[in-house]
Formats: sequence, C-alpha cells, structure tokens
Amino acid sequence: MEDIGKRSRGRGLPSRRTVLAGSAALAMPAIWTSGARAQSSTLVVSTWGGNFGRLLTENVDVPFMKPLGIEVVQDIGGEEARVAKIQAQRMLPQGNIDVACVTGGVAQRLADLGALEPLNAATVPNLAHALPNLLTPTAAPQFYSPQVLIYSSERVKEPPTSFADLLEPAYKNKVGLTDGNFPFNMMAAALYASGNITDVAGAKEAMIRLNKNGLKLYPSVDATAPPFKSGEIDAGIMFLARVISWQDSGIPVKAAFPKEGAALYVSSLVVPKNAPNKQAALKYINAMLEPSAQQGFAAKLGYIPATDNAGLSGTLAQQLALPVPAPKLVVPDYAAMAAGSADLADWWKKTIQRS
Amino acid sequence: MSDAIISGRRSRQLGGTVLLAPATLVVLIMLAAPLALLVRYSFNRFSPTDLMIAAVTPENYVRFFTDPFYLEVMRTTIGVALLSTVLCLILGLPIGWRLSRMRPPWRGIFIFAMIMPLFVSSTVRALGWMILFARGGVLDLGSSYFFQRHFEMQFSSTGVVIGIVSANLPYMVLMAQSVFAGIDDRLSEAARGLGAAPVRAFWRVIWPLAIPGIAIATIMCLILGMNAYATPILLGGPRFQMMAPLVYWEFGTNNNWPFASALAFVLMATTLLLAVVAHTLVPRRYRA
Repeated sequence: MEDIGKRSRGRGLPSRRTVLAGSAALAMPAIWTSGARAQSSTLVVSTWGGNFGRLLTENVDVPFMKPLGIEVVQDIGGEEARVAKIQAQRMLPQGNIDVACVTGGVAQRLADLGALEPLNAATVPNLAHALPNLLTPTAAPQFYSPQVLIYSSERVKEPPTSFADLLEPAYKNKVGLTDGNFPFNMMAAALYASGNITDVAGAKEAMIRLNKNGLKLYPSVDATAPPFKSGEIDAGIMFLARVISWQDSGIPVKAAFPKEGAALYVSSLVVPKNAPNKQAALKYINAMLEPSAQQGFAAKLGYIPATDNAGLSGTLAQQLALPVPAPKLVVPDYAAMAAGSADLADWWKKTIQRS
Repeated sequence: MSDAIISGRRSRQLGGTVLLAPATLVVLIMLAAPLALLVRYSFNRFSPTDLMIAAVTPENYVRFFTDPFYLEVMRTTIGVALLSTVLCLILGLPIGWRLSRMRPPWRGIFIFAMIMPLFVSSTVRALGWMILFARGGVLDLGSSYFFQRHFEMQFSSTGVVIGIVSANLPYMVLMAQSVFAGIDDRLSEAARGLGAAPVRAFWRVIWPLAIPGIAIATIMCLILGMNAYATPILLGGPRFQMMAPLVYWEFGTNNNWPFASALAFVLMATTLLLAVVAHTLVPRRYRA
C-alpha cells in the first residue's frame, strides 16, 4: 500500500487523504454561508433600478428591514424580464424572487396564472390603509398617478381639456407621446372615444387620427421631456408624477385632467407563491405601506400615496392635490388589458409606429 | 530514425489537441448550446399565460415570411447595413492607407486616436449623436442662428446610418491599416521602377494583396451593421425599425420568446448568407 501511495504521489496524483481534505476545504464556504444565512435572512426584491431602486433602499430597506435583520437584495431589471422569471419559475417548488414591483396590469396577468400569494390585512396589517379601489386580492398598491394631458406652459395659451383637443389642427406636429406607454395612451384614446376604457376599436380609430395629425413618438419617458423644452412638441399624454418631476427640473410644463377621465397608473407589490422568504416579503410590503415610505416616494417621484394615512403636507400636498371639482379617475380594466396585450402591441407596432 | 521523428511529431500534435480540447469544448457549449436552444424555441408556440408551449411548428417562420411588415424591416436592416458598410469602405480605406504609411510617432498617435472611440460604449456614442442631432442640439442651434431654419436629424434613417458608420469606422480603419502596413513598400517601389505610375502600382500590386484583409473588414462591418441595436433605437426612434430592436421588442415587450427566437435566427441566417455572398464576390485567387 505504501508503495502505491508513493507511486501516486510521484505521478502528481492526489492521495485519498488529500482529496478528502480538499473537499472539506471547498465545502467550508458553503458551511459558513449557511450559518451566516441562518442568522440574517435575505430577501430578494425584483424591481426597477435608478431612482426607484434607490428610494426603496432609502425608505424601506434601511429604516425597516435592516433593524429586523433582513438583508434586502435588489434584482434590478425591466418589468417584462421580471414577469418572465415569475412565469417561468411558477411551476418550481421554490423561485428566487420574494417581492416583485409590477404595474397593475402585470399584477393581474400574474394573478390570472395563479402565480401570486394572496395578501390581506391579517398578514400585512398596513393593507387596512390601502385605497380600496386600488387593492386586489394578490397585489398591494404601492402608489398611483393619474394620466393627464401635459402641455407647454410657455407656448400653449389655452390648456387642452380633452384628448379631442390634440386632434385639432392647432396641435398638428406638436403632440408627442412615449412609445413605451402605448397601453396607457390607448386607454386615454378609449376614454375619449366612448368613455369606456376597454373600447379598443374606438381607441384605435382615435389614435390613427392623432397619428395623422403629426404625432411624434419618443422611445422612453425621459426622452419625452427635452422636446417640451426645445419647442419640438407642445402637448401630450403623461403621468402626473412625471409632470411634477419635470416641473421640479425646470421644464415649463403643466398638467390638465382630461374631461373624459384619467386612467390611473398603479404600481404594485406582489409576492410569488413560491417565494423563498415569504414571511420577510410580507414584512417588506407592510413597510412599504408605512406613511414615511409613502411620503418618501411622493416627495422624490411625485407619485400619490396608495394609503389613506400617508399624511402629506406643504408644497408636496399642494402639488399632488387633485383639482376641485374632483376629476374622473378610472382604474384600468386589468383583465381586459391582459387579454388583449399581445394583439395591441402588434397593432401599435404595425399601425402607429410604422405610419 | 525517421519513424521516431514522425512518432514525436504525432505525439506533439496529440498533446496540442488535448490542450485545445477544453477551450474548444467551452466555445462549443457557450456558442452551440444557446443556438440549439434558440432553434428549438423558434419552433415552439407562444402562449400569453405559459410563455411557450412545446411544439414543432413552423408558424413563427411562416409569420415572418408572409407578413410584409417583417420583410420590410429586414429590407431596411439590409439596406442600412450595406450603405453603412460602403461608407465605411469609402472613408476607412484612405485613412487606413495613410496611417500605414505614416512614420512614428504620428502613426501611433493617430492609431490611438482611432482606438479612442472604442473605449466608449456604442450607447454612449449614440447619446452623443443625439445631443448633436436633436432639436435644440448643437447643429440645430447653429442652423437656427445662421440660417433661421431648424435642423433635425434625430429619428431619421440618415442619423442611424451616420451613427452606425461612426461606430464601425474605427474597425475598418484599424484593419485596413494593419493590412496595408503588412505589405512591403518595396513591392510598390519595384512596380514604379518598372514604369508603373503610382496609381497603377497601387491597383495592380498593393490592392490585390490587400483584398483578403479588406474583405474580412468589410464582412465584419456588415455583420455589425446588420446587428446594430443601440444606434437604431436611440437615433432612429420608435418609428424606425431594424431587426435587432424588433427581436428585443418581441422578447421584452411581448414576452413572445418563440417568435423572438425565430426572428433572431432569421437575422443570423441572413447575416451569414450576406457574409458568404460578400466572400464569394472576392475573386478566388485573392481570398484569404
């Protein structure tokens, strides 16, 4: 045996003892990590990056989760990638997302798939303060923003009052929309066409007319701001939150609520059914609905709190206050949105983008 | 004795093969496996709820080849790629030639200047063009001041071609420079010594020797142009459609992985076909 061992070493092959020692050494980080994880729990939040992710860290992760010993890891990316992950993982016993930030329509799509954990005030106490019209059985509303008519306060003397105004010759080649917001742009057109937010046929007809009036499309929300400043466009459709943040940046724009109604953009938090750390996920959502967290997002991004106890005050409360008399606010029909989203995207691409 | 030499050579070759095997395996896995997956996905069926339903159906390819919209996008892509490649050739070859005949340290300085843009990502470069082209941008301000007319090139096909040329030109120049620098100056001198005018000496002696390298540079620019993503999105805008952004739209906005896979595969196959055609256009005796 000794000879064999010597020969092995002579050829540079490891002995059994060396292999065992090496394996133990390799396993050490895993053993150590598992011990460390037992002491502090990790929560994966799938979210947008930039200001959004930073505000989550400042208003939720640090003040609420850190004291509980919960380490928050942000999985930053686009919404559709997030949806694809949850969809692809939903048959697995355990996924890798604990909380996902999604828009209302996407939350509905995921709920229809049975991929989401039910949420209620028993497990998330602050849901008792969530605005009832924004709350769904599986999605906690994080905040919302009405979709308004945006116009240049320098060049537009008579503010628009309806989508119909954008079709007028006065606005020829002067209306700009964000291409990526096409589902909401279509909702605005549907409300104008018939007052019914799901009137796809009416919306298509109205949008074709707007396109013929020299509609300009911009690839992202942020790319839509400079044309207002440079004079390239005078009006469009935008979320009130963005109008406020652009005003804060010195861009001369104002918002007007369309008389036919304003669709609501709702940002939600959901918990996948197979979330690995469900308990921490529920605590996270509860923390997001705390007044201080709601105030943080309202102050920096201009979104309206989705709870009744956020307690905004001062200039911010004035900026976010709805006009009197109260405008017509319409929560999107998420089920209809989910059913027609692929067809609508195809139509938008081939009809509006192309012509 | 000769048997021993042959045996030693075979042994060395075997050793070389063994050493190459891991890298080859990694490349095969990293390249072939995703491609195989892409092909497989492209024959699946899209479902808004399940993402994909396993199937073997040609419907995604049929959809592409029967819908004029997608064929038009492909035509635009090929047109932009060809035009930008021709412009790269026209602009890049004289610069490459001049650089190859420069003396140190100027040659190094200018080559470094050509490399500099490559340190900046194509997205950032496209953003730079946006600042230049946009309404209220540098060119618009100049035009408004001097001619009292607005100048707008953002969201236009011209802007996209300029953006792609600016991104691909350094590759063409650097490769052309390297090809021309590898050709012995004495060949040209000999031709001139035998009575050829400089232009004739270039076309009859230098150019045939440079063709294989220039062909590779051309094919590379063509491939880069066909697959351009950031430039068409940022400088072309939503109304200007090329294949790579379309693939992302189907993948990212619609979550239609099967159709996105089919689009990606069609784009890849078309690019490969164009590269082969470009290669065959080079006379056989000049091919690398």
